[in-house]
Amino acid sequence: MSRLSFRPRPLDIHKKLPILKSIKDFEDDDTPTSTRTQMLRLVAETDNDTQVHQVAIKKTVSEIPTPEYVIVDTYERDYSPTFNQPASYLRARGARAEIGDFVEYDLDNEDEDWLEEFNSDRTILPSETLEVIIFKLEVFDHKARERAGVIAPTLGTHVPVLLTFDAAIEALQALSIQYGIFQSIYSYWREKRERLHKPILRRLQPPPPVNDTNPYNVFRPREKAHRLHTRRMQRRENSVQSFERLRQVRRNLDQAKSLLEALIKREERKRDVVDNEVLLQRIQMKFKNDTGLLEDSLALPEMPSFQSKFVSSEDEYMESDDLPPNRIRLRFQPHGPVDSRVIIPSAGVIKQEIRPRPAPHTWLHKLDPLEPILLFTKPLVPEKLAAAGIVPPVDSPIPSARGHNFRGRIGRGGRIVFDRWNPLMHTPIDCGDQLYMPPKPRISALH
Amino acid sequence: MVLEVGTRVLCRWRDGKHHPVKVIERRRLNSGDYEYYVHYTEFNRRLDEWVRLEQLDLDSVENDVDEKVEDKVTGLKMTRHQKRKIDETHVEGHEELDPASLREHEEFTKVKNIATIELGRYQIETWYFSPFPPEYNDSSNLYFCEFCLNFMKRKEQLQRHMKKCDLKHPPGDEIYRSGTLSMFEVDGKKNKVYAQNLCYLAKLFLDHKTLYYDVDLFLFYVLCECDERGCHMVGYFSKEKQSEESYNLACILTLPPYQRKGYGKFLIAFSYELSKKEGKVGTPERPLSDLGLLSYRGYWTRVLLDILKKHKGNISIKELSDMTAIRAEDILATLQALELIQYRKGQHVICADPKVLDRHLKAAGRGGLEVDVSKLIWTPYKEQG
Repeated sequence: MSRLSFRPRPLDIHKKLPILKSIKDFEDDDTPTSTRTQMLRLVAETDNDTQVHQVAIKKTVSEIPTPEYVIVDTYERDYSPTFNQPASYLRARGARAEIGDFVEYDLDNEDEDWLEEFNSDRTILPSETLEVIIFKLEVFDHKARERAGVIAPTLGTHVPVLLTFDAAIEALQALSIQYGIFQSIYSYWREKRERLHKPILRRLQPPPPVNDTNPYNVFRPREKAHRLHTRRMQRRENSVQSFERLRQVRRNLDQAKSLLEALIKREERKRDVVDNEVLLQRIQMKFKNDTGLLEDSLALPEMPSFQSKFVSSEDEYMESDDLPPNRIRLRFQPHGPVDSRVIIPSAGVIKQEIRPRPAPHTWLHKLDPLEPILLFTKPLVPEKLAAAGIVPPVDSPIPSARGHNFRGRIGRGGRIVFDRWNPLMHTPIDCGDQLYMPPKPRISALH
Repeated sequence: MVLEVGTRVLCRWRDGKHHPVKVIERRRLNSGDYEYYVHYTEFNRRLDEWVRLEQLDLDSVENDVDEKVEDKVTGLKMTRHQKRKIDETHVEGHEELDPASLREHEEFTKVKNIATIELGRYQIETWYFSPFPPEYNDSSNLYFCEFCLNFMKRKEQLQRHMKKCDLKHPPGDEIYRSGTLSMFEVDGKKNKVYAQNLCYLAKLFLDHKTLYYDVDLFLFYVLCECDERGCHMVGYFSKEKQSEESYNLACILTLPPYQRKGYGKFLIAFSYELSKKEGKVGTPERPLSDLGLLSYRGYWTRVLLDILKKHKGNISIKELSDMTAIRAEDILATLQALELIQYRKGQHVICADPKVLDRHLKAAGRGGLEVDVSKLIWTPYKEQG
């Protein structure tokens, strides 16, 4: 209220607000900086004053006057002191209609007047008996309508009387009322009942229709009640049908669950494959960066960094110097064009000048003598192949600088395989090599 | 001398003084004289009553001719006069109704049909119209059985009923007992006639209660004082079994003989304790009456300021709401009405100066009877079997 000059931001109910314990916290930092704010404050204060004043006036009248009440002098006679409160909390019993014995009907003025006239000074019929009979007639009439299936859900024009005199006599035999008296009561009841157009007993009266505008017709069924017919509520019905439906739902959900589990497994596998590919690419990059010089992509697996017992260090390769000179090449770009006759020097990339290619045979000699030699680690010997009648496939007819050489090797199962495509690198085999080269170092290195 | 409907005149009230009234209706007595149904313009409609000509100060008569012409006007077209008419009959608590429905409400309910009721130990003057079945229209006094709430036109009928009545307490489960005070939960669906009787009765004291819809969807919490004659209703509140607007209370009433004893505050506190047990925030259904608003403002003020007095550190409105089950909007409205939320240096702060809080707490009045939560044995409706 003291700030009239601007509109505060809306308050965020989730935001923690500081609690100022002293009014001084308010006033101290509120020192007026100009005469204008001073004036505003004054205006605000007078405003507050008048408000307080108004509130004060209101407070004196705040005792809102209400109508009065008096004590009924017959109360203690009307209500008997017979209630014993049990020690435990009282529990609801069934409604009166369910208990059955209770006479729900109370005679009204009209009934009393009729009875007085009927009795005419003698007590032919006590009020209590009339009460019971009217109550029973109402109940039996309602049952007759139930049996006939004409119970209206809402109050229409007229609720018919279906209880005949004979049926009424039969139903009320137990009360042993004189025929003549009963006849009078029945016709009195019937006349009253027809005049009312609806049951006399309030419990049995149908509710007014929703669109009824008569303000005396109260307690309409609420539209909300129709919500019971939504799917959600229907499923709650406790029947065999809904049991089956729920079982079907469960089966579907179980299937969906196993499907999803399989899906997860598949995706995990896919991720493993990608991980491995990434690892491989990294290793490839690392190797290229470390050496900077490679013969071709096929030489990649022969990575000196692998701490294998077969290939412990690159120095071992350096020992062999029996390489043909035409196979020495320079490479520094992993994906660059490969040409055996062109040397492309590039600043800072070439770390090592020339690396001799290790000879396959020398490699075998380096094996640990205790290590059994696996068949597929052995290179193919072209002579033996020829002797066995195995002819390597001929080169691709596609004219290219290097052509497509097939590479023969012994597979893990002992079969002789000719690769045209490096399964690991997804690159065509051969990068200009004319000679057949066994891939054994890669296999052994990864082994 | 015969006065016209719409006449403004001074009338002697129960305090012996003359107050300005407006004649709402008149009727001819057997003697040939008229009696007049008057509205005291200073007070709420609940004090409207039938008076004899002797009570009126005829020198002060001021005929409002315009008004007479207007009374014949039907339809909802509003003239300036009609607007004024409504404006002045309604001081508080009616702001939320549009003029058209307010006028319809007024027209139908302008004269109380039942003048007094007898309920247990008390004969009580009624406050408002209640739509009892037309068969009861010829009776200005009704006799209620104080236990099953059946109503009758003659005292003898009540006395005969009392001999057979099988109830000594509301027909529901007792969910709270502390000393002589008990609270019963009555399901409107299981005890339809009782719940309807209760609504007819309550409407006599509540202006903007509607009996339009059935009682099935409500629970009734009936507060009783118990003695050797039974459990005597002192008040009640009703609550929707499932509220989409998060209402935790639909109607609330303390019967006039038991008013100003703290029962209303007890009922309000009880409604919030139920909400806490349900783990929900709640708010009363609107509109609130003048008395209802007063009670609620007092309750909110007491609950919130008690927390602010003790609380250390910062606190958000949401946290206050979670602690008290009071809806955040109601908390904001309460604190803002007390000017405890201020905007300072670009942020809102809560002023909790002990002196200021104590002053507000004093103005809010005493808390009334405490709800002892350990004595509440209750299962929320949703969890009941």
